[in-house]
Amino acid sequence: MSLRPDQKFDYRHVGYGFLAACALALLAFFGLGIGAVLDVRQFAFSYLFAFVFFFTISLGALFWVIVHHAVDAEWSVVMRRQLENIACLFSALAVLFIPLVFVAPVLWAWMDPANAGNAVLQEKAAYLNRPFFWGRSLVYFAVFIGSAYLLRAYSVAQDASGLARCTVYNRRVAFASIVPMALCVTFAAVDWLMSLDWHWFSTMWGVYLFAGAALSSLCVLVLVVTALRSVGYFKNLITEEHYHILGKLLLAFTIFWAYIGFSQYMLIWYANIPEETSYFILRNTGSWNVLSILLVAGHFVVPFLLLLPSFGKRRPGFLCGVAWWILAMHLLDVYLMVLPELHRAGFRPSLMDLLAVLAIGSTLVAVYLKALGDSAIYPIRDPRLQQSIDLQN
Amino acid sequence: MENAGNPSAPLYGVGAEFATAADLTRAAREIRGAGYESFDVFSPFPIHGMDKIVGARRSPLGRIVFIGGLTGFLTAVAVQYLPSAVIYPLIVHGKPTGFFAIPAYFPILFETTVLFSAFTAFVGLLMMIGLPRFNHPLFNWERFKGVSGEGFFAVIESRDPRFSTEEAGRFLESLGGSNVTVIHED
Repeated sequence: MSLRPDQKFDYRHVGYGFLAACALALLAFFGLGIGAVLDVRQFAFSYLFAFVFFFTISLGALFWVIVHHAVDAEWSVVMRRQLENIACLFSALAVLFIPLVFVAPVLWAWMDPANAGNAVLQEKAAYLNRPFFWGRSLVYFAVFIGSAYLLRAYSVAQDASGLARCTVYNRRVAFASIVPMALCVTFAAVDWLMSLDWHWFSTMWGVYLFAGAALSSLCVLVLVVTALRSVGYFKNLITEEHYHILGKLLLAFTIFWAYIGFSQYMLIWYANIPEETSYFILRNTGSWNVLSILLVAGHFVVPFLLLLPSFGKRRPGFLCGVAWWILAMHLLDVYLMVLPELHRAGFRPSLMDLLAVLAIGSTLVAVYLKALGDSAIYPIRDPRLQQSIDLQN
Repeated sequence: MENAGNPSAPLYGVGAEFATAADLTRAAREIRGAGYESFDVFSPFPIHGMDKIVGARRSPLGRIVFIGGLTGFLTAVAVQYLPSAVIYPLIVHGKPTGFFAIPAYFPILFETTVLFSAFTAFVGLLMMIGLPRFNHPLFNWERFKGVSGEGFFAVIESRDPRFSTEEAGRFLESLGGSNVTVIHED
């Protein structure tokens, strides 16, 4: 079936952007390779930081697609294909995870045989052991990739056939994905991030990562949709009403992130048990504390005050500014999860932090651009498309 | 035209019934287009886009609630800061670096902000919509009592400067309204 020009992404809009992204990715990976030889510890932590940042964005997009189908949402139909494209980056992320396999004992100290005699570690060995750990990681990727691909495949099939049955199938996939996805997010957060310090634990940790993921993927959606609008797509399809809803959700998830973050902090601070407070003592002393305070102000107070009045939520330019800001703050959030474990004495930026973000980021941009042109830019024959276009709020 | 309410009491307006939500939407657009300002439409469920069609202005309630919430927030700051940092500076609940231990105060700050906002919203809304009151002239109209279950109504109010009973009644009828009724107060 042929698509109209306004339904299909034309690559002349990116010019050499695709090649530039590939070239940048290659250069950055080359730089990272040299860095890994020089300082493998810095490489491991920088790479995990960048990986988790982009992982959360795909994760959030998958969450939104699942929620969309599970609650039979109307308003988001016209933007759903872009969320599906972002969620399908999981297959690329699975490949990008491979370098971490090679530096695992450097990154996750509990894998290091030198720590094997530790009493705490021996108690936790039933969970923290290599075969189980890698097996779990495989399961996470299988669940995320399987769910994301099925949801996108039915949606694309509907573009051609227009069958309402595809919507019903997607609803079933969404229902079947909710519980596995929630479990996978929680345990992935525990495995990849919490186990960086195997003494420490927090039951809020998975939700905390999820809160940042849902928020930052919305920011990416705002930016992607606005970029596509700026080159002439979505004319009369995505209006300020859609931006208004996105703005309201950004506000809601800014508050949700702060709520979860504070709930975690409050309980640990209040109980004051040494094995729990270690995480915050590290991050709330010295130069790390400056960044932690910046995180509270920048990730919550600033976007909260900007998004509270309604005037900005209906302005695409304003919302894009807020989205960039929140993404920057989410980057800082992930940075503060990972890097303090390496530089325990205080904040020490490294070129490899930047290189890792560039390497993974530009790889994913290239993969995304490839997916963008593979199908229509919105679900053109979804039964709810017209309701979504006529959105009022 | 039928009459509802006490015919010797002041006039409230002229109402008509419409068959569907689409009819009501079209009628509302026409009434506004004819230059009426004081009119209202009623339906058993919210009709998307109706706010814009009837030209409803943004409610000031949001701003009032913001002030209420801010008052609550500042009250909580004051009632926590003054006792624990000024009047009774005791070293309890984790105060290593000063007596104003913010994490402990957060739940109260949050709850008080919410509480004051909720009260402001509740009381403010009641005041703005004129509740509590015993009866509204519209309920003198027997057919109107079904508005929350079935039926779509449009009412042009007598306080509109362009209002005249005859003209408003004919106009509503010309829009396809049935059961056009003159509504009086009690």
